[in-house]
Amino acid sequence: MTKFKYIWLKDLRAELYTWKSLAWLLVTSLIFSVTAYLLLTDRELSLLDHTEMLWLFGKIIIGSALLVVVIDAASLITSEFENETIEDLILTPLSVKDFVFGKLLAALTLWVLVYVVAVPYMVVTSSGTKLMGVFLGYTALLGTLAVLGFTMFIFAISFLYRSLKNTLTTSLTLLLALSIPALFSTTLKNNALARILGIINPLDNIFSSLDNVLVDYKVSITQNLTFIMPLVLFCIVMFVILIFSTKLFTRKGIIKG
Amino acid sequence: MKQTILTLILGFTLFTYPFYARAENASSIELHILSARTLSGTAGDYVTVQGEITNSNSQAVNNITTYLSLVNADTKMPVDLEDWSAERGLFIETIDAKETFPLMWKIHFVQSGSYTLTIVANIEGNDMPIASKLVYFKVSPKKNLNPGHVLPVALGEPILIIFAFLALRYRKDKKYR
Repeated sequence: MTKFKYIWLKDLRAELYTWKSLAWLLVTSLIFSVTAYLLLTDRELSLLDHTEMLWLFGKIIIGSALLVVVIDAASLITSEFENETIEDLILTPLSVKDFVFGKLLAALTLWVLVYVVAVPYMVVTSSGTKLMGVFLGYTALLGTLAVLGFTMFIFAISFLYRSLKNTLTTSLTLLLALSIPALFSTTLKNNALARILGIINPLDNIFSSLDNVLVDYKVSITQNLTFIMPLVLFCIVMFVILIFSTKLFTRKGIIKG
Repeated sequence: MKQTILTLILGFTLFTYPFYARAENASSIELHILSARTLSGTAGDYVTVQGEITNSNSQAVNNITTYLSLVNADTKMPVDLEDWSAERGLFIETIDAKETFPLMWKIHFVQSGSYTLTIVANIEGNDMPIASKLVYFKVSPKKNLNPGHVLPVALGEPILIIFAFLALRYRKDKKYR
């Protein structure tokens, strides 16, 4: 078995055999249940145009998934430092690359689980429209890119901080800092600075792409490259930061200084 | 005697003229709803109420406030326009003699039902408001594509996750027993 799989399966078992991960999934499922039910049946919310309803639901799915994955990813590497199990792992014939890749797969698996939970809701809210396929497809694509980029950033700071509290605080602050301007209306994004921030903000690009696909019916990848390319670039930048952080960790060793 | 009668008539005319002139001003204002045919729609739709106000008098009329009055014909009760329209009223400072002003409100059909709509104008100094003719329109209910199908998923999936959790726990307990 490839070495990284040990790490991946170890974390996956730890997630699945405890109530923590499933409790998150249950809470996520409840959020989706309440949102989908209200969107389709509430007198005022159901007045939304169906495409806008799907757009709002897509934002809620990706936003909830990001929150769950960010919290989980913050503990994946730091828990090894805090439980002092990192030494044992480093002493095994396991490279840092395998260690990080296994952890990355564990975080992505959680996103896959949240996505699988969201699929029935996406199907039921979009059935009868021609948008079901693109809704499922674009949520998967955009969510994966966002989760990948954020997880790599969190792993990078995990190696630097080596503490759950600091990693979690920084990660959640970043998520919040990027979420707030992304939720601003277009009228608040009229000045040059807001537009530049909108181009580089991954969450802004996700929401704009969903809007482009679901509300404006621009469903092809080429019509969404303007939003997907900054997300890919975000992932590349985060990958470079992660490499730099792991190199620093390898050079400095487990005991800092 | 004649002089006294003439003085009294003149005095009465001068005294009542402002009231008469105001009444004439008020009666010379006409309100019309132009978009009566396009008002019906489905709950959730945004429609524009177009109207016009005309001053057919030879004098200008000042300080006119126009607003919509909506009544639910089913419940026979007036509707609070708070959710229906962001524009509460339109204020017109002066309408010159023989001038017509366009009026426009964007309204959001919030609830299905039968309604009557009127444009009302309050003119400063007049006791009586002026209203347009009533316009009758219907708002049909919005039918979502599948509101009935959401409940089984909304209730079923969290229950399914709880069962999955219990199954995993059972498997784990069995393994380590």
